[in-house]
Amino acid sequence: MSDDAIRDAPPRRRLSLGGASGQIGLLAIVIGFWVVFSSLAPGFLSTFNLFNLGRSLAVDIVIGFSQMVVLATGGMNLAVGSIGVCAVMFTGFLLQDLGLPIPAAMALALVLGTLLGWLNGMAIVKTGVNSFIITLASASLYLGAMLILTKAVPYSELPAAVGAFGRLKIGTFLSPLLVIAIVIGAALFVLYRFSTLGRQILAAGANPRAAAMSGVPVDRVIVFSHGLSGFLAACAGLMLVARLGAAVPSVGGEEWLLPSFLGPVLGGTLLSGGVVAVVGTMIGAALVTTIRSGLLVLQIGNFWLQLFLGLILLFAVFVDRYRSVYAERRSTRQR
Amino acid sequence: MLRRLLLVEWSGLLAAIVLGSIALTFLAPNFLTEFNIYVMLRSFCVALLVGFAQMVTLGVGQMNISVGALGGLVAISLGGMLEVLGFPLVLAVPLAILIGALGGLINGVLTVRTGINGFIITLATASAFTGINLGITESIPFYNMPATLVAFGEQRFYAFPYLLIAPLIVAAVLGVFFARTVPGRQLLAFGGNPTAARLSGISSERVIVLAHVLSGTLAAIAAVLAVAQLGSAQPTIGTDWLLLSFAAPIIGGAALTGGYISVLGTMFAVVLIALIENGMVLAKVDPYWVQFLLGALILTAVWLNRWRAVRTGTD
Repeated sequence: MSDDAIRDAPPRRRLSLGGASGQIGLLAIVIGFWVVFSSLAPGFLSTFNLFNLGRSLAVDIVIGFSQMVVLATGGMNLAVGSIGVCAVMFTGFLLQDLGLPIPAAMALALVLGTLLGWLNGMAIVKTGVNSFIITLASASLYLGAMLILTKAVPYSELPAAVGAFGRLKIGTFLSPLLVIAIVIGAALFVLYRFSTLGRQILAAGANPRAAAMSGVPVDRVIVFSHGLSGFLAACAGLMLVARLGAAVPSVGGEEWLLPSFLGPVLGGTLLSGGVVAVVGTMIGAALVTTIRSGLLVLQIGNFWLQLFLGLILLFAVFVDRYRSVYAERRSTRQR
Repeated sequence: MLRRLLLVEWSGLLAAIVLGSIALTFLAPNFLTEFNIYVMLRSFCVALLVGFAQMVTLGVGQMNISVGALGGLVAISLGGMLEVLGFPLVLAVPLAILIGALGGLINGVLTVRTGINGFIITLATASAFTGINLGITESIPFYNMPATLVAFGEQRFYAFPYLLIAPLIVAAVLGVFFARTVPGRQLLAFGGNPTAARLSGISSERVIVLAHVLSGTLAAIAAVLAVAQLGSAQPTIGTDWLLLSFAAPIIGGAALTGGYISVLGTMFAVVLIALIENGMVLAKVDPYWVQFLLGALILTAVWLNRWRAVRTGTD
């Protein structure tokens, strides 16, 4: 699947070879787009654009991670956007209305995100109903509750330090948000590759029954993954608050749905569970952000963006599909 | 007796509808007025077809995330054909529905040919359809719709809107299709147990493609009705269909795993949703409550279905 695709099955060497090429291929596509965009529009490589690109990339990466950790268990989380926007508005409420210090507000928002994700996980495990339908319903529930409580009024008078952090630059154009996203990625990589819990999650995702029989607490692992997903969605929400310098109720929601799947699926995370690609998700998110930013700089406008993203997702899943068919054929021939 | 009632998946729904109507009659004096019933029935039309569009894919064990996106594309195609190209209504409406069927065909063929999860395929095509919609219209609606179409969307016979004719016909056709025709039975058989269906000679490719084509067609009919109802072809038609499309069949008792659907149950579910929305308006409650309640309703329905399955021993 990919060189970091952390798989469950032992034959890692042979399969990861085909996978690494997939991820390198994805990286090559991203670089290709960079070459095209920067030659067509010199503004693409300006420090201003690179800085903005890095900031949105950071958010896209974390949104992708939020979906990825649930995909690992073979489920999905359609409530990613709703949890994100709940965390956004909760932060705004804590900072503006209650006047809490920034670290406390952020911590509480992360707790809220984790709690909402945990609730999803509990509902899935307790009812035994498909995660799709539970998170579809809870997405509407969370979003509705947020809108009822906030009346969809943005919090725009946040402490200046919040927006200032979003505008902060390390060196000429590197946003600290991107650094945070990469740190989260590293932590997830360690979780899935080196920790018992991470291995248990992947085992439960690949084959729940086999995992349960070998002593993996499948239910607990699923609840944990949903909690983690909620935490990461809240992280992405906080990043958006920093980027916008305000808590706006229109971010998140259904808008995150497509990007949340694009990153992991492009990167080689399997929908059927059991395989995650942390680095792949980051490159996948980079592809999405690059195209979005490039179309913006080329002034093609947002209208066609949706079409491009859809076609790219289709293209990516086809390539992935035929790669696995090809790999299968080659391995049978070798036998 | 209780056991038999419990077995009927829409029994609870019917009870909820009756109780809700009685409560609204007492609480809101203008609930039972002719005009209010007309308004409710009118909002019921599009919602029912949207629910049906998802129901047919659920029946075969698939899902169609692109229901709303396809609806939006069909709506603006219809608007464009009528306003910009000047097509007559009798040509534009069938063509618009054909576009919907074609979109469904694309979904189905892609799903079958690649063997990729229908969720991802339709998520991707949804984005593509929306992209085409926005790219063509740049978010500007077509306002000049023919008077016949607008009249069809507005006129009524006492409390009965003419618009309601279409969904009632579709519901009857779907009911017969799934209960009495070979392709309909094959579709459900495949949804219930793909392996068994394949072994008994049902082509899995054909039923999946058929379900997606039907889904696209139904979404297209919903879009045409939405244009008639609004009196203009808005590019935003369909943006809020996703949740509704799943809510209606699932509250109506459809199994997410495929193989079991209920046309009548879906209808009752949409009635209940329309009732709730109407109640919210009459009670002048924040419209955001609808979103919240719809989510709660789905969770309740899912939980009730589980409970019923355990109680009646059909699990």
